Amino acid sequence: MDAAVAQLILHDRNIAYVITDRALRIVEVSGAPLIHRGEGGGVLGRPLTELAPELIGSEATLEEILAGESPRFELPLVNREGPDGQTLYLTMVDLPYRDRSDRIVGLVHLMEDVTIMGKLEQRLTQQRNELRFLRDELQRQNLELAAVNAELKRLDELKSSFVSVAAHELRSPLTSISGYVEMLLDEEFGPLAAAQRAPLETLRASARRLLEITNNLLDVTRIETGRIELVLQPTDLPALVEAVAEEYAPQLRARGQRLTLQAAPGLRSALCDRTRAAQIIGNLLSNAVKFTGHGGLITIRIDRIAGDDLQISVADNGVGIAQDDQPKLFTRFYRAGSAQATGANGAGLGLYITRSLVELHGGRIWFESALDRGTTVHVTFPAVDQEVVASYRCSDNFSESGL
Amino acid sequence: MIALSKKVCLLGDFAVGKTSLVRRFVYNLFEDKYISTIGVKVSRKVLAIPRTSDVVELTLMLWDLAGSEEFDQVRTSYLRGAAGAILVCDLTRPETLDSLRANAGHLRAADPGIPLAIAANKRDLTDQQRIAESQLAAAAAGLNAPYLLTSARTGDEVETLFRRLGRLLVA
Repeated sequence: MDAAVAQLILHDRNIAYVITDRALRIVEVSGAPLIHRGEGGGVLGRPLTELAPELIGSEATLEEILAGESPRFELPLVNREGPDGQTLYLTMVDLPYRDRSDRIVGLVHLMEDVTIMGKLEQRLTQQRNELRFLRDELQRQNLELAAVNAELKRLDELKSSFVSVAAHELRSPLTSISGYVEMLLDEEFGPLAAAQRAPLETLRASARRLLEITNNLLDVTRIETGRIELVLQPTDLPALVEAVAEEYAPQLRARGQRLTLQAAPGLRSALCDRTRAAQIIGNLLSNAVKFTGHGGLITIRIDRIAGDDLQISVADNGVGIAQDDQPKLFTRFYRAGSAQATGANGAGLGLYITRSLVELHGGRIWFESALDRGTTVHVTFPAVDQEVVASYRCSDNFSESGL
Repeated sequence: MIALSKKVCLLGDFAVGKTSLVRRFVYNLFEDKYISTIGVKVSRKVLAIPRTSDVVELTLMLWDLAGSEEFDQVRTSYLRGAAGAILVCDLTRPETLDSLRANAGHLRAADPGIPLAIAANKRDLTDQQRIAESQLAAAAAGLNAPYLLTSARTGDEVETLFRRLGRLLVA
């Protein structure tokens, strides 16, 4: 090859070469000036390690090449500081240098500037390592979180178990108190003086409230431990709403409130647990009664929605719920400001239980509310599949009057 | 005074602080930003190591090798001719201690008597340390190598680390 062409290739590919004698002293330097930094003839006769200190320690390997025992020695991606302080990446290769009679008379030391590729590889490695860091950190945090979670779960189970036992223990004497108060009020133990009736009625109301709280606590522990079982059956929702509303007639009368029931025509049966569905409706109606003033209006609508599912909406024109309270309304033990301001009874469990029961049925619950204008709470129940209705009919488990 | 040159490799997982240890030892500098090393960076530092009857002017050729596993294949060519090695782990990452055994294995396969020293780095991150000194001592005993708790950030025990290996190299 023409020497000028060879130089052109070396410069274009950023390759420099050094030829040494057998004592590894430099006898020729040529190629890209970037690598040997124009030292040129100044290094002739000097040890190769002055130009390539990276070879210190590799003398034995170079001796193997000189002895013809090893064909080459390569050091890829050697980092060096360039004139501008930037890192240069070089690949160094040492090969045997032979004379015309094919005797090894020294080494050819090649240095190729691979900075462009090196920088790309550095960036890739950097990103890969940073990702590994994040992955390791994430794994570590996950382990810590899992440990904390397990401990919290254990404490939560302990708490649920305590609440459950306490509520059970409270319920028996409460039932007994309620029973005897009822019997006293029914004058089964003899006539009551007028002055005795009022405190006994207060006692009955308090016992009922305590019983309601203990029942709610038991429900919460059942929900949290996944021990609520629903007996799903086709249910005539308007009839159920009417029955529940009937139970609230005394409270409505006492507060001079008006209740309107509206049901869309041609509704399918809902697939729900009747006791729990009654509890859901009762909770919503109870809240409407509690948070609506004397003479207020409460409306319950039952509509058909997409997929023939059913939606119950309980609307009142009561005190409403402040914007700040709205996101926390379904949180257990949370009592909205309006509940506290009106002095309404409750432990902040009703809506939490209601939401859980609705979701257990596969339904949804949401509300709209504005302070002093009232609240509308919507819940949905899945409709009974017609095939299920048919199978109920066939197996005689289904009451026609319920549809 | 006798003058000696020795090739010393720094080995350990990525981001344990190999480059920072060399930078602190050679230039007395520290850079907080993590920059991955690819390939090898060779630095030089001369130490005067006293022996019983003389002093050795020891030139350490420090080979700061890429820690990422992608460079496992070319690492063997870098390790050729190494007279000693510093194995680096990160006190905040227990898995980096396990890697030391593998690295020592590669070195000792080529030279069973090669002197090693262990740098348990990042000792300044006291509240994040997850390697107990007892674990470190056990690993060091298993590798028959001294260990030091170092901090490239503060410089703690960095000079001692290289001098300790230097003494082993000229012994």
